[in-house]
Amino acid sequence: MSTPPLTSTDAAPAAPVDLADLTPLAASSTTTDPKRTGFHHHHVALAPSLPELARVFTSAGYFLEMLTCEDRRLITPALPKMRLVQTWNRFDGPADRHLVTCELDPGQVAPSITAVAPAADWYEREVFDMYGVRFAGHPDLRRILLPDDSDFHALLKDFGQMDRGSEEGT
Amino acid sequence: MSDEPRGASSDPEADPTHPEAYVLNMGPQHPSMHGVLRLKLHMIGEEIVVAEPVIGYAHRAHEKMAENRNYLMFLPNSSRIDYLSGMIYNIGYCQAVEKLLEIEVPERAQYIRVIACELNRIASHLLWIGTYVLDIGGVTPFLYCWDDREQILDLLDAITGSRLTYSYGRFGGVTMDVDDAFLTGTRTFLERMKSRLPEYDTLVRKNVIFIERSRGVGIMDRQTCRAYGVTGPCLRAAGVAYDVRKSEPYGIYDRFDFAVPTESAGDCLARYDVRIREIEESLKIVTQAVRDLPAGPIMPDKPKKKFKPAEGASYFAVEAARGAFGMYLVSDGSEVPFKLKLRTPSFSNLSSMPKVLAGTMVADTIAIVGSLDIVLPEIDR
Amino acid sequence: MSPPETLVDKLDSPWLGVVLGVAAVLGMLTVNVLFLVWLERKVSAWIQRRMGPTEVGPFGLFQTLADMLKLLSKQLITPRHVDKPLYHLAPLVVFVPVVAAASLFPFSAGLVLQDLDIGLVLVFAFGGLAFVGIFMAGWGSNNKYALLGAMRSVAQNISYEIPLILASLSVVLMSGTMNLAKITALQSERGYWFIVLQPVAAVIYFIAALAETNRAPFDIPEAESELVAGFHTEYSGMRFALFFFAEYSNVFIVSMVATVLFLGGWSGPLLPGPVWFFLKVYALVGLTMWVRWTFPRLRFDQLMSFCWVVLTPLAILNLLITAFVARLV
Repeated sequence: MSTPPLTSTDAAPAAPVDLADLTPLAASSTTTDPKRTGFHHHHVALAPSLPELARVFTSAGYFLEMLTCEDRRLITPALPKMRLVQTWNRFDGPADRHLVTCELDPGQVAPSITAVAPAADWYEREVFDMYGVRFAGHPDLRRILLPDDSDFHALLKDFGQMDRGSEEGT
Repeated sequence: MSDEPRGASSDPEADPTHPEAYVLNMGPQHPSMHGVLRLKLHMIGEEIVVAEPVIGYAHRAHEKMAENRNYLMFLPNSSRIDYLSGMIYNIGYCQAVEKLLEIEVPERAQYIRVIACELNRIASHLLWIGTYVLDIGGVTPFLYCWDDREQILDLLDAITGSRLTYSYGRFGGVTMDVDDAFLTGTRTFLERMKSRLPEYDTLVRKNVIFIERSRGVGIMDRQTCRAYGVTGPCLRAAGVAYDVRKSEPYGIYDRFDFAVPTESAGDCLARYDVRIREIEESLKIVTQAVRDLPAGPIMPDKPKKKFKPAEGASYFAVEAARGAFGMYLVSDGSEVPFKLKLRTPSFSNLSSMPKVLAGTMVADTIAIVGSLDIVLPEIDR
Repeated sequence: MSPPETLVDKLDSPWLGVVLGVAAVLGMLTVNVLFLVWLERKVSAWIQRRMGPTEVGPFGLFQTLADMLKLLSKQLITPRHVDKPLYHLAPLVVFVPVVAAASLFPFSAGLVLQDLDIGLVLVFAFGGLAFVGIFMAGWGSNNKYALLGAMRSVAQNISYEIPLILASLSVVLMSGTMNLAKITALQSERGYWFIVLQPVAAVIYFIAALAETNRAPFDIPEAESELVAGFHTEYSGMRFALFFFAEYSNVFIVSMVATVLFLGGWSGPLLPGPVWFFLKVYALVGLTMWVRWTFPRLRFDQLMSFCWVVLTPLAILNLLITAFVARLV
């Protein structure tokens, strides 16, 4: 068997994304301790700036590692929110994980970033499937894991919540 | 219906953009769909115009379950996410929780974890070699790989009590210590595996039909991989030396001397080569871990009884056999996770398929999907 | 040289002879298939370091008999959307030519059911007929996998018949006859097998024959990992068994043709003719099994280009050289 060199065929590893490009797009940006949280940076963004943020990340050579959602409506009942969560990371060099969170009002439609990061296609479908969050501009927003005719969004906190391990549903 | 096979024009599922194409449903029950993947193929003759993976047939709501039970109760679920490299998932989940709770893991347990995870990775890759060659029509290598894999399963069975869905890790260590029989068995296996790799080379890699079926098939370049978040051997076959064990070393992986094998072609053949060389690297790691295994406890002196992390979000990634497995874990300060997102590698890897499969032939489709090494329960969760 | 007296000639009534002969050929084929399937399982087990069948009978010999009884006793399921005439007829159309072709072979001097001067042509003609049946099965099943398998099968077999027949013609040119018994006799007369003078034709024939019989690495029409079971996806029970029977018998028949054309048929020292004949045939069958359990499967376009770009030109070239040399000699 031939043994090609163990290094990547690409040229110099991509430089970390320029934080100066990100800060104008985010409502707040903080640096966190990756040893404790696993994130190197945390950006809180507003929904309209999500595609632009994604563009900055992809053009810096980052990939969309994960996109999900949190149902935070019951945490602060006075200010019910759904939180979109993205993590971006890079292939070359040590990990540089950026956490992007975005608070949505219940029922608010988020802009899709599929056009910028194709990886978001299935993740956004999953978020729609599990949380009912809709994405404007998604090419094919259908359920992905649950049956097409389901009438529920399974990961919402008010669906099928069990009381600390007891089998009675609410 | 009864007097004429369903042709292109009468097909209700036909794609409007390709009215001349017919639809072939491959799966969820099909001999070479790994697990319950369904591929909706719009085809003209044998050529695929549009390929659409349909998933969710093995959805078991792991993420919902995680939100409904305390941290410890989710432990058995972890290895059932990906039953072929369950050890890596199981240990990975433990490490994620340990990070959240800042639990120290004793040295010996760390080494045992590495040995178990790397053996599991070899087993998973062996299974892949077997099933991939089976997908392109070679039956015999499958049984050879199965034979070798069985040795690993026996070893892991001896220390964990299960063959596939291990629940070996605990927050702070592992359940059972390894004995001399296990270490001797592992050394024997390492020797055996080293002598077996040249055999695979002769039986599989040098076979001209195997090369013809794999070379230039299903090319995923760096750009495609990045766009779809493809990780693991598929990404390394495209020339990107991305490995979580190197980019953000977890556990004690920074102590071992191993390389991240890459190939540049990004085709099925490159994915095969990468996995074979990953087996070699894993053998190296296990050799070093067995050599350096220290004596000592396998659990902390005073294990925690209650697992109540502070409020906040964390992310923990491990390199599973199929790529980067990440856990996004949110705690609301209670004993039950507020949210556990499982970022499984196969999900992202498979999502690139519509792009890669378009324009290929049916036979290549099987080879390409096979070469990804997908595990459906891991995709559907 | 006068043709040796055939079995049919020995009987008073030619019709009784035909009936008995066909029964004998059927019996031989059945036993053969049962044995071949057992052998295949044992050979594959040996190659894969397994045991193979061990439970039923000595060395598991009766395992295939038990399997056949199971298939015989199974309910015949006819799927709802099939084209009934085609669906029902297809197994027979595949099966009957096999029996017809098998009845043409000289197992030893004089031991031949039908000694015809166009024996070789008939064998290939019967072989070609089977593909009508395969396509009927694929089309009549009203199943996309079956149809794809049938289309592959027809394309593959029509393509590979050309090098197959061209390779055989090289031998015909040398021997000057298409009578299978005469070709055999000629080889024992001259004292050498035709494979010595026609090694290229023999290799081409063997490869093309693998493709003709849908054996790995050319088992594309029924590629399990792609097309489930190809043209016989919708068949079960005895109907499936007929396809299965035809497939294994075809392996046997192409091996018999190869034995007659290239390996001197029944000729050989010491042992009686039929023993030599079957020894050679089984050696060839064993070779196909070895190939099957070693190689992966080719892709369809690779298969076709291999036929049209490599095998057919080579066979034509070989035929031209043979014709030229035969003219000189």
